[in-house]
Amino acid sequence: MSMMHAPQLGKAPSTAHVMRWVIAATLPGLAVMTLYFGLGVLSNVLIAALWAVAAEALILRLRHRPVWPTLNDSSALLTGVLLGASLPPASPWWLMGVGVIAAVVVAKQLYGGLGHNPFNPAMVGYALLLVSFPTHMTLWALPQPLWPESLWPQILGTVPVSALDALSGATPLDAFKHKGDAVLASEFWASSPLPEGTLSAWRNIALAWLAGGVVLIAKRLISWHIPVAMLGSMMLFSALFYASDTSHFASPLFHLLTGATLFGAFFIATDPVSAATSRQGKLLYGAGIGVLVILIRNLGGYPDAIAFAVLLMNLCVPLLDMVSVPRPVGQATARPDERKSAP
Amino acid sequence: MPAYEFPGGIYPPERKERSNQAPLRTAPLPSEVTLPLSQHTGKAALPCVNVGDAVKTGTLVARRDGMVSANVHASISGTVIEITDRAIIIQGDGEDRWTTLPPLDWRTAERDALLERLDDSGLIGLGGAGFPTYIKAQVNEHHAIDTLVVNAAECEPYITADDLTLRHYASDVLEGAQLLARLCGAAHIIVGIEDNKPEAIQALQALLTVSADSEPLASMTLKIIGTRYPSGGERQLIKKLLNREVPSGGLPADIGVLCHNPGTLLAALHAVRDGQPLVARVVTLTGDAITQPGNYWVRVGTSVDTLLEHVGVARERLHQVVVGGPMMGTPLTSLEASVTKTTNCLIAATKEELPPAPAEAPCIRCGACESVCPAQLLPQQLHWYARAENDAALEAHHLFDCIECGACSYVCPSAIPLVQDYRSSKQRIRHKRIETAKAEHAKHRFEFRQARLAREEAEKKARRQARLAQQQSASSDATGTQTAPVADLRSLRIAQTAAKAAVRKAEKVLARAAAQDPQQRHDDLETQLATAQENLKAAEARLTEARAASEQKEAP
Repeated sequence: MSMMHAPQLGKAPSTAHVMRWVIAATLPGLAVMTLYFGLGVLSNVLIAALWAVAAEALILRLRHRPVWPTLNDSSALLTGVLLGASLPPASPWWLMGVGVIAAVVVAKQLYGGLGHNPFNPAMVGYALLLVSFPTHMTLWALPQPLWPESLWPQILGTVPVSALDALSGATPLDAFKHKGDAVLASEFWASSPLPEGTLSAWRNIALAWLAGGVVLIAKRLISWHIPVAMLGSMMLFSALFYASDTSHFASPLFHLLTGATLFGAFFIATDPVSAATSRQGKLLYGAGIGVLVILIRNLGGYPDAIAFAVLLMNLCVPLLDMVSVPRPVGQATARPDERKSAP
Repeated sequence: MPAYEFPGGIYPPERKERSNQAPLRTAPLPSEVTLPLSQHTGKAALPCVNVGDAVKTGTLVARRDGMVSANVHASISGTVIEITDRAIIIQGDGEDRWTTLPPLDWRTAERDALLERLDDSGLIGLGGAGFPTYIKAQVNEHHAIDTLVVNAAECEPYITADDLTLRHYASDVLEGAQLLARLCGAAHIIVGIEDNKPEAIQALQALLTVSADSEPLASMTLKIIGTRYPSGGERQLIKKLLNREVPSGGLPADIGVLCHNPGTLLAALHAVRDGQPLVARVVTLTGDAITQPGNYWVRVGTSVDTLLEHVGVARERLHQVVVGGPMMGTPLTSLEASVTKTTNCLIAATKEELPPAPAEAPCIRCGACESVCPAQLLPQQLHWYARAENDAALEAHHLFDCIECGACSYVCPSAIPLVQDYRSSKQRIRHKRIETAKAEHAKHRFEFRQARLAREEAEKKARRQARLAQQQSASSDATGTQTAPVADLRSLRIAQTAAKAAVRKAEKVLARAAAQDPQQRHDDLETQLATAQENLKAAEARLTEARAASEQKEAP
């Protein structure tokens, strides 16, 4: 006879199960990205994933923690996949290494491991790379054949820095951001600033991420609160900007379908560990990210802004968790009873 | 259909079809029963038979001890062979000779006679908590009750005891509801049932349409609710049926509602109409290790082992036996245990159907627990505070509003035994409260002693002063020498008034506490009142003494 505590019945899908499903849900996005940007996308993901697993194993060993059970939860693998997917195609192998070590070792394990990191690990890695290696991080290739000529030199990092510019093209967000104040939006688009197919490539990739996200919500592996709040506030806020000056601010649809918006909404902002926990908190958290993304994109110095918006809202999570306490059934107020907590 | 909802909730696999297919059967008469003395909340009953006594089915064998307690009756006829601290064991004679109380008509009998009958019959809530029914029936002496809720939701997976009870005894259950509605003065009866019990619903519907013309005492409504765990939780069901919220720390009676389980209502009718004390109940016997799952009338005190043997148990596949449902039930440590008045279900489970929980993983703050919590708590925050033993934060986050339904543990992807954490935290905090109360009581007793000594001292001094005054006036040499220091009369008068006010305040506090909770003893408040009275006496003694002295001074 065994002794078990109530409830005896059934167990929810485990953390590892959830992580693996999220990894599986990245596949449509990754596939469409590969289709447009070539095999460099897959090489990114593979190299980053390897780095992540290796870094996690090493740091667990150094922390004298069980290695296999933790690796088995697949959270490090997921961090690697997400970071790999965020970087420009065929980024050099060491770039991924630096980003992943910052993500897995510093942002996650040094804070105590899974469940204890205040910041989204993948975005810590991304932000670090963005401010430290701006040249490499803006190396977004133009839509290109599946097997680009310069794939290997790029992965190996043997392309000289001076030649990097020749390989890169502006992303739509980037191009619009740097169009210059004198140029009206209508003039900018009339001058066909991007190579043909760039916009549709970004749109199709975004829709593929959306498909993966919908699967996650349908399977109840993430809740709808954060993505819906984030996208909703982005639409609303960008519409306000757009309405105020249509000739200088991009339309809500442009914000929605370019850059990392949908990827960020379903795969980055929904990281449970670093997000707010209550349903109300999640709505506020998602809405905050949306507002920050539009603020940074429209007024700030970085074109995409998902990483910074997420990290900034990570900072607000303790506060959000404090103000978004639901009212317990039968209690008069929502807030924790201060009288009881007095020593 | 009700438009109201309670928050949270989960949809666990129901697994009710395993036991709701067969009709209600009667388990064979056991050859021996072990009757626990504590089958209810409150104090254990006191045995009132001796070893060797012959008893009949229905003979009172243990009497309730104090207000919150319940009688225990022999559930078979035979001989008492052993009495321990915890149980009375009766060896059966196999004849099942009965003794019953005289039948009563609940429509015409005196209210007190009915209450006495519920008390005599050892009736307690058969849903699981086991609160003595006669106390619950008297609750309208303190609270106005308008609605009696028949809790037929039976939301836990596996359990079908209420379902089968309703299918077979729907009219008796409703009559029992009328009886208890009469006792508590409820004008409405609402039967709340989950929509996964179509046959029971049909039986109830058929009765309710017929009885519409026969004018029952209380109006009856049937409300069918969606199947979702834990809709059978008292607070959740009331919210769902009536859209009323039971206040935190309060009872349904506070908002004019009483809840009863169908089994309890049936037993109440049996006790009143047939004079049968509570000696048997319907138990769901289910689980993959049982060959003939179903619902059985089982005599209280039957050993679990015997019962399982009767319904055919595959011992090699048996992994654990759970008493109650798989969400809130407790696993048995030994099959020697016996069926009690609150045993609604026994699940003889194989390892595959109720597998052991996987190893606990770190909390990833996913918030799944919060979204299913029917009490709208923050289970995850409570988890951190429970592990840190931060009792102040636990209480501030309303740990005691947790109904321990287990929904949070059920959905936790990290397999954290959340409910277990909350239960042990509650226990720790309750223990701490008792310790604090004890220390407080000791302090009050000490203060009382100090006050008594002060009073005695003051009285002694007053007597001495009076004696001295007498002597002086007798000698009347009137030298005017001051024999005693004249105390400041004014400050003594103030002290006396303050002491009087303290007495009045203590009296008021005690009266209020007694009115709120007449069953409770208020030793501490009584000590405080006595202390205040001692202080007043001492102050009065000092004042008299001072007055005598000052008169003495002014006399010449």
